[in-house]
Amino acid sequence: MDIFLQQIVNGLTIGSLYALVALGYTMVYGVMKLINFAHGDLVALSAFAGLTIYTSIFADGGTSIVAVITVFMFTAAVIAVVGVLLERLAYRPLRTAPRLSAVVSALGAGLVIQNAIMLIWGPNMKIFPSHLFPSDIYHFGGIVITFTQLMILIFSSVLMIALYLFINKTKMGTAIRAVAIDQDAAKLMGINVNKIIMIIFIIGSGLGAVAGLFIGIYYRGITFDMGWMYGLNAFVAAIIGGIGNIPGAMFGGLILGLFNALISGYISSAWAETFTFMLLIVVLIFRPTGILGEKVAEKV
Amino acid sequence: MNKTSMISLGFLVVMGVFPFFADSAWLAVGITFLVFSVVAFSQDIILGRAGAFHMGHAAFFGLGAYTTAILNTQYGWPILATWAPAVIIPVAVALITTAPIIHLRGDYLLVTTIGINIIFLQVLENNLFGITGGPNGIFGIDVVTVFGFELFDQIYMYYMAFILLGITLFIMRTLDGSKFGRAMFYINKDDVAAQSMGIDIRYYKLYAFAIGAGLAGAAGSMFVVQYSAVSPEAFDVMQSIMFFTIVLVGGSASLPGVLLGTFVMFVLPEIFREFETARYLVFGLAMILTMILRPRGIWPVKFGNIPAFLKKGKK
Amino acid sequence: MRILPRVAASVAVCALLVTAGSAADVIKIGVQAPITGKYANEGQSIDNGVRLVIDQLNAKGGLLGKQLEVVSCDDEGKAQKAAICARKLVNEGVLAVIGSYTSGATEAAQTTYFRNKTLQTSDGTSGSLTKQKYWTFFRNSFRNSDQAAFTATYLVKEKGYKNIVVISDYSGYSVDLADSAAKSIKSEGGNVIYQGKIKSGTQNFTAVLTKIKSMNPDAIYFAGYYTDGGLIRAQQQQLGIKADFIGGDANDNPDFVKLAGKSAEGTILVNFPTAEFLPYDAAKIFIKDYTAKYGKAPSSVWALMNVDGLNAILHAAKETKSLDTKTISNYLHTLRDFPGITGPVSFREDGERINTKFNIYEIQANGKYKIINK
Repeated sequence: MDIFLQQIVNGLTIGSLYALVALGYTMVYGVMKLINFAHGDLVALSAFAGLTIYTSIFADGGTSIVAVITVFMFTAAVIAVVGVLLERLAYRPLRTAPRLSAVVSALGAGLVIQNAIMLIWGPNMKIFPSHLFPSDIYHFGGIVITFTQLMILIFSSVLMIALYLFINKTKMGTAIRAVAIDQDAAKLMGINVNKIIMIIFIIGSGLGAVAGLFIGIYYRGITFDMGWMYGLNAFVAAIIGGIGNIPGAMFGGLILGLFNALISGYISSAWAETFTFMLLIVVLIFRPTGILGEKVAEKV
Repeated sequence: MNKTSMISLGFLVVMGVFPFFADSAWLAVGITFLVFSVVAFSQDIILGRAGAFHMGHAAFFGLGAYTTAILNTQYGWPILATWAPAVIIPVAVALITTAPIIHLRGDYLLVTTIGINIIFLQVLENNLFGITGGPNGIFGIDVVTVFGFELFDQIYMYYMAFILLGITLFIMRTLDGSKFGRAMFYINKDDVAAQSMGIDIRYYKLYAFAIGAGLAGAAGSMFVVQYSAVSPEAFDVMQSIMFFTIVLVGGSASLPGVLLGTFVMFVLPEIFREFETARYLVFGLAMILTMILRPRGIWPVKFGNIPAFLKKGKK
Repeated sequence: MRILPRVAASVAVCALLVTAGSAADVIKIGVQAPITGKYANEGQSIDNGVRLVIDQLNAKGGLLGKQLEVVSCDDEGKAQKAAICARKLVNEGVLAVIGSYTSGATEAAQTTYFRNKTLQTSDGTSGSLTKQKYWTFFRNSFRNSDQAAFTATYLVKEKGYKNIVVISDYSGYSVDLADSAAKSIKSEGGNVIYQGKIKSGTQNFTAVLTKIKSMNPDAIYFAGYYTDGGLIRAQQQQLGIKADFIGGDANDNPDFVKLAGKSAEGTILVNFPTAEFLPYDAAKIFIKDYTAKYGKAPSSVWALMNVDGLNAILHAAKETKSLDTKTISNYLHTLRDFPGITGPVSFREDGERINTKFNIYEIQANGKYKIINK
C-alpha cells in the first residue's frame, strides 16, 4: 500500500508539471485553434534561462527565499516576452492562412528555440545547483515527499486555482472566453482580440516557465531537447482533458501523470509512452473531444 | 504531354545521367536524395492529396527498413526476397493502425499519428520479441545479390533507388488520372460536399495511407541496404516532422515542390556539413518565413478550381 | 523553369568545393565520435585527443614522410548516424578510424570499415564487438565480462551483499554489462533479486525506484551511463532507499557527481584507472599537453584509451613502413607491451586488448575519488 501511495505522490508531482504546461497548449488552442508546437521548447528555454539568471545574480551560490522568488519572477517575465514575440512574429501573420501553414510555422519556431538553446548553452547537459531548495524530506507513514515535490504540488495548485478564478470571475477572463467561442463576434462586441491573444501568450508562457524551472530544480539535469518530451506529454494531457478547456488541461495533466507513474511502476517505464498514446486513442474513440470537452456540433 | 509530366521526365533524365559525373561521395548524396524523394512523395499522397494530417510517416519508412533488416539478418533471406514483405507489412500495419482513427478530424489525427510513430519507436527500442536489436539497431545487412553476384558498388544502389523513384512517379501519375485522384481532389477541396456526393472519405483516406505506407516501406528497404545498418532514431518523430514539412514547405501535391523540399531538407545538409550545428536553426527560420511569405508552399500547385484532368474532358 | 540553370550552377560550385580539398597527398585519420548529443563531452575529448596527437606528429615531420590530417564525423552516439559516418569516412579515404565512444555506434560502423579495409579502434566494451573477429577492429579498452567478473567478486566476496539489484538501460553496452554482472554475481553465490531496465534520458526514475524500495536490497548496481546514473543515485536517496550504489565504468564522469549532488557521497564506481590515477609518465605528459592546448583535462580515461589505439596504429605503420591496412593489422595482432598512456598495449588475435586492471573508487563528500581496492 505504501508503495502504491508513493507511486501516486510521484505521479501527482509530474502530473502537476504536465498540467502547468498543458494549460499553455489549451489556452492557445482554445483561442487560435493552433497546436503551439513551440510551447514545449519554451519550457526548456525557461529552465536554461532560469539557471543563467540564478548564477548571474547569485554568483556566490547562496540561496534564500528572496533569491528563489527573484529567479521565478525574472524567468517567467523573460519567457512571457519570448512567448509574445513568438506570437507576433510566427503566428499572427498566419492567422488567416491555411491551418497547416500555421502548424509548420509553429514547428519551425520550436526548432529555432531548441537550437538557439543548443547554440547558446551548448549541447551538453547543464546541471542545476542542488541547494536552490532545501533538501528536506518529509515522511508520512511509509511514503516520502521531498521539499521540492511539496513545492511543486502547492505552487501548481495555487496557480491553477488562480487561473481558474481569473478566467471565470474577471472581466478579462470573460473576454478571453468570448474570443475563444467566436473571434469575429467578440471583435464586434468591442473586444480587442489582439490584446486578448497577447494575454493568452503571456499567461501560457509564464505558466510554462514555472514548470520549466520546477523541472530543472526537481530533476537537476536539463538538456536543450528536453522540451519536446514534456511538450508532447502535456499536449496529449490537454487533448485527453478536452483541448480548449482549462479545467480539462489540469485534469488531463494529473490523470496522465498518475497513469504514467502507475504504468511505469507496475508494468514497465519503457512502455510508458506507448500506453500514453493508447490511452489517448481510447479516450478519443469514446469521447472525440476529450473527457471534459464539450460536444460541439459540426459546423458545415 | 502536360507540364507535370515534362518536369518529371526532365528530372528523371537529369538523375539518370548524374552518376556519370559523380564520385562516390556524390553518389551517396544522390542515393539519399532519391530515397528521401520517394518517402516525401509517399507522404504527399497522404497529406498533400488525401489531406489527412499525418505526422507519423517515419514509422512506415522504418517498418520497411526493419522488415528487410530482420528478414535478412535473422532469417537469412536474400535482400531481393525481402522487398515484397517490406512493402506488404507497412501497408498492413498502416491499415490496421489508421482504420480506428481515420475519422478523427485534423489536429486529433495529427497527434494520434505522432503516437503511432512513438509506439513504433518504443517497439524498436524495447526489442520486442528480441528481433529489433533494441536501441543499437541491426548491423551487418547484406548487399543485394543477383545470381550470386554481389552488387556492392554504390552505382547499383543508385540505380535501384532511381528505378524506385521512377515507379513512384508512375504511380502518382496514374493516381492523378484515376477515380482516386478525382475523389481526393474533391475531399481536399470540401470534404463535406464530397461526402454528400457519395464519396466514401474513410475508404479513400485509408487507400491513401496504404499506398503511402507501401512506397515508404520500399524506400526504407533501400535505405537499410545503403547503410548496411539500421537503428531506431532514424525513424523518430523529428524525421516524421521533416517529411511533413517537406510537403508543406515545397507545396502540397506539387511535384517540383516536394522535390525541392527534399533537396533543401535532406541534401543541402549533406553538402554543407560545416553548418550541421546551426542547421535546424536555419531550417526553423526558413519554415516560418516560407509559411509567412508563401503559405501554400514555395512551389504551389497552380490549378484554378478545375483540375487539369477534368479540363481535358477525360471521363 | 528559370530556376534550373541556377540550381545546376550551385550544384557545380558545390562539387568544386568538395573536390578541391581532397587533392593533396596526406594520410587521413578518421574520428567517429559523439561530438554533440548526450555524450558530447566524451566525444569532444576523443576528437581533441586525436587532433593533439596528430598535430604533435605533424610538427615532428609526420608519418613516413607524409603529413596527417584528421577528418571528424559526429555520430551523436547513435547507430544510424554511425553508419552514415562510416560511409562518409570511407569515402574520404581514411587509413584508420578512432572511435566511437559507445559500443552501439561502434558496432553499427564496424561492418562498413571491414568491407572497405579501414582500420578501426574503439573503447566500446560490449563483448559483441570482437565476436565477428574482423581483422580491421582493435578494442583499446576491455570487455564488459572482465569488468563484470571483477565487480561481482567485489560485491559478493568482499562486501558480502546478500540482495543485489541490477539496473541497465536499453543500450547494447549496458544490457551486455548488466547481463554479465548478473551472471557473475550468481556464479559467485550472490543473489540478484531484481534485474530491471530504465529508459535512458527519461529523468524521472522514481517509479522503478519505488518498486525497488519494496524489495529492500543491500546494493544497487547500475550498468548504464552517468547522465542517468547521477539522477538515479539522487532519486534513490530522496526516496530513502538505504542500499549502496555501485556504478559501472560509464558512470565515471565529473557530471555524475554534479547530477547526484550531495547524494554522490558514498557512491562506489568501478572502472579502469581514471586519468589522474594513471601512474605512467606518458599519461602525465599527455594530460599536461592536452590541458595546455584545450584549457581543461580530458573528460575521462576513454579519450586516453582511444589515443592509445591511435598511437598503436601509428606505431605499427611506422614500424612496417607501410600504409597497407592488412600489413598494419598483422603487426598489431602481434604487438606486445607497446608503452601506452593507459598502460602497456597488447592485442590478441581477435583484436582484443589484453591485461587490463580495474580500480574501485568511493566518491568523497568533496566529490573527489578515493581508491578503495587493494
